[in-house]
Amino acid sequence: MTSWVDVICIVIVFLSLIILSNHRVAAMIGVFALQSFVLGLLPFFLHASSISSRDIMIGLVTMILKAALVPYILFWAIRHVSMRSEIKPIIGFGASIIFGAIVIAGAFWVSLSLKIPGQPASDLVLPCSLSTVLLGFMIMVTRTRAVTQVLGYLILENGIFLFAISLFDVMPVLIEMGILLDIFVAVFIMAIVVNHINEEFEKNTASVVQSNMGETF
Amino acid sequence: MLTILILMPFLCALGVLLPVSKYFRLKLFGAVSLAHSLFVASFWKEFPPSEYHGFLVLDSLGLILLSIISFLFLSVSIFMIGYFKHELGRNRVFVTCLFLLLSMMTLVAVSYHFGLLWVAIEATTLFSAPLISFHRSQQSLQATWRYLLICSVGIALALMGTFFLAIAAHDVHTLLLPALLKGAPLLSVNWLKLSIIFFIVGYGCKMGLAPTHSWKPEAYGQAPGMVAVLMAGALTQCSFLALLRIAQICNKTGLTDFFSSILILSGVLSLIVPAMFILGERNIKRAFAYSSIEHMGLLVLGLGLGTVGLFGALFHMINNALAKVVMFLTAGSLAQKYGSASADEIRGVIHIYPLTGVFLIAALLAGTGMFPFATFHSELLILNAAIISKHYLMAAVGVVCLGLMFIGIGKIILNVIHGQPKEPLLAKKENIYMNVAIAMAGILLISIGLWMPSPLEKLLHNAAALIVSV
Amino acid sequence: MNIIFLILSHWLIVLTLSPLFLGIISKVKAFFAGKKGPSFFQPYFDLQRLFQKNSVYSRTTTWIFCAAPIINLAAVLVLSALVPLGTFKAPVKFSGDILLAAYILGFARFFMISAALDTGSSFEGMGASREAFFSCLSELALFMNFITLSFVSHSISLSAMIGANFPLSWTLMGPVLLLVVGSFFIVILTENARIPIDDPDTHLELTMIHEVMILDHSGVDLGYMLYAAAIKFFVFASIMVPIIVPVQSGNTAWDMLIFLGGMLVLSVTVGIIESTMARLRLNRVNNLLLIAFALAFFGFVVKMWRM
Repeated sequence: MTSWVDVICIVIVFLSLIILSNHRVAAMIGVFALQSFVLGLLPFFLHASSISSRDIMIGLVTMILKAALVPYILFWAIRHVSMRSEIKPIIGFGASIIFGAIVIAGAFWVSLSLKIPGQPASDLVLPCSLSTVLLGFMIMVTRTRAVTQVLGYLILENGIFLFAISLFDVMPVLIEMGILLDIFVAVFIMAIVVNHINEEFEKNTASVVQSNMGETF
Repeated sequence: MLTILILMPFLCALGVLLPVSKYFRLKLFGAVSLAHSLFVASFWKEFPPSEYHGFLVLDSLGLILLSIISFLFLSVSIFMIGYFKHELGRNRVFVTCLFLLLSMMTLVAVSYHFGLLWVAIEATTLFSAPLISFHRSQQSLQATWRYLLICSVGIALALMGTFFLAIAAHDVHTLLLPALLKGAPLLSVNWLKLSIIFFIVGYGCKMGLAPTHSWKPEAYGQAPGMVAVLMAGALTQCSFLALLRIAQICNKTGLTDFFSSILILSGVLSLIVPAMFILGERNIKRAFAYSSIEHMGLLVLGLGLGTVGLFGALFHMINNALAKVVMFLTAGSLAQKYGSASADEIRGVIHIYPLTGVFLIAALLAGTGMFPFATFHSELLILNAAIISKHYLMAAVGVVCLGLMFIGIGKIILNVIHGQPKEPLLAKKENIYMNVAIAMAGILLISIGLWMPSPLEKLLHNAAALIVSV
Repeated sequence: MNIIFLILSHWLIVLTLSPLFLGIISKVKAFFAGKKGPSFFQPYFDLQRLFQKNSVYSRTTTWIFCAAPIINLAAVLVLSALVPLGTFKAPVKFSGDILLAAYILGFARFFMISAALDTGSSFEGMGASREAFFSCLSELALFMNFITLSFVSHSISLSAMIGANFPLSWTLMGPVLLLVVGSFFIVILTENARIPIDDPDTHLELTMIHEVMILDHSGVDLGYMLYAAAIKFFVFASIMVPIIVPVQSGNTAWDMLIFLGGMLVLSVTVGIIESTMARLRLNRVNNLLLIAFALAFFGFVVKMWRM
């Protein structure tokens, strides 16, 4: 079932591109949920002949945490505020798509010189995960809203996970779960901080700090 | 044993989430910290057995870090009893996060698996974030945000590094440290190099090395003093432990030169950058944060230089932690007394709070590596290593930067100590708990500086041998 | 002699079939709107009606305005001669005809834009400027798709590219073709002025792109323009369908049936998109086109990686 793994890899990069070009925060979160869901499908296609309990567990936990809970938390974080759309990204949307395409090409070029030992599920895994990581990084750097920066971080994590899930079984399940849990808690805390920031803003909007914080939040 | 050490604070964290009194939480925290220190003290006699199939092992490197963590938490717990006398706010989340932080830092010190190490370090990042925004002002939230974001990205890169290491170790089939060391010839060099780069960048972010240091002044400037102590003294050094673990692998695979060159570069950069910024700084805590970047630079520089430098770096880990206790706790108590840590607000400390004034001078001397304090020795060792390895220019740059650091911090602190207080201050009493906590670390730092006890020397030698052994 | 016969028969198919698919699209839209809708053959009736009328020319216009509809129709007919229609092989093919195809499109568009500017109306000028901007971006995506396809099929002729052994390619090149199809679909929507890029049914001059440009054409000229648009959609669809449905049973009748079925499904899909989506805000359209380009480029990168 190599081709399905290929397709999943491609779709994940494609969805990152979509998020990169999107300007509505809610839509971005939705696409992120979709991306995580696709990522969660990956373990089921990896060893198609014999799906181990490990695969099922990782797939399900990924789906529950990243495709359901994390988007839910993010929606909660943006619910009260007028944070519907990314107002002014540092790089325009059009330019970021072009940069995104260049970044993808760069990721593929870099992966040319890296040979994965053993028998990887698909040779697209490494370049695609690198692309996703870099695209996530791009979103973090170029977007000015706190929530969009969190999304960038999450996409970056998805890229790393694409790599991790498909390449090896070195990590014991427990540690892989620990990694997932850590990321979940990270998002949780970030969402709380975002929420606090919003509250602070509603309390005193005319403060001095706002002048330099308004840009960021 | 190790499991108990990790679980004890963890369970207490769950316990203090319950609606119990504010003082009960503090007392419990003090008791747990004390128990933790007693456990760790017993490890100096004899290492505990490894647990969970070698996932949790305490070795000499871990013991250094564990002792630091334990001591820092002990002094912070003493300090906090005094601190919360004057603090009206609630402390439920605060103490819970402190407990979790203690638990996770202990896990960092004893984890022998790179995945587990990552999980623990990431957890320390997360649990320290709520501590920074304790006062929940806009500035502190901004600082928390910056800290969370930069460190999360850094940690994510380190995760990538961990996975690359896993690919490099494809033929070893595990990420347990002893297995990696034994199977070092089987590791694929290209992947290992890539993973080393990611590790240094990732954990370097967390340490606050130069290009990614920007969260440090913000976070330390906004965090309460005791949180800054834990972050500057323990949290950053947890990431340094990760770098030490990688150094072990590099040494076995003959990549030491590659590893060292990156470390030396970032180390020198971390010496230069804060020295440039310190002179314009007006906030005591922020100034100390720059000093912390400088110390991190010294640590990686020492590790990069190897042998004498390595011994100096390990020694400096301890001294740095103790110096940070003196510096940030003093700054924290001052900030509480004056309601600000800005040098423009604070005047005439020596007249109003003589003891705190003395501590401030001690903080200046300890932080900048002046004689009776042990930081002097470790910094000397590291600069010495630079000279031995014929990096004369680097040694000169180091001396100049340390000199600038001394001028920068000295300017602020001398300003603060002398001068007339702005208004007739309603002098709050000096708090005995706060002073005991600071004095304890200060005296310890001086005594190590004057005479190094043989168990410590042995421990440092053993730890250094773990890294450079052939 | 033979080649002329082939070309003529090719054009006959194109001319007879192409308006039908526009009829299908509007039927689907009517269905989704809960209406009965005009008959499938309504576009034929429209064309017939227009061809019986005389054109009216504004006094400000020059010969360009008169020439544009004819040139437009002629250009798409030439283009259609380069494209195989199912089992009917393209009568004209040579190495590098993808470039000709792309530039014929550009040629037709140039005259259309010039004619729109020629009217001197501010609305049409606006439409022309938008058309120029968007087509500039969609051409980028179109070329990227052609480049990727030519690498997949190892040829730079449209006939060889589309007629290549795609059943094999899908198993080997699945991800690449997936990306190309996605990108090409956006290109089709753009080139044929469909939702979400442009709304063919709108009557607000301020938001229209394609429709506003032909606002001043009337009678036979308008008929030519509509006919050209129908053929353009037909040609683009017949480039895309063989890529998506690469079935080649060997039986000519079956293959042709499959091809026509594919065209039908594609038209219905376009109709569904038109009924369910809203037109994008003008300043978001370029993002969509850039995404189309990025997709094609991504496909190209994957293809190069897999080589």
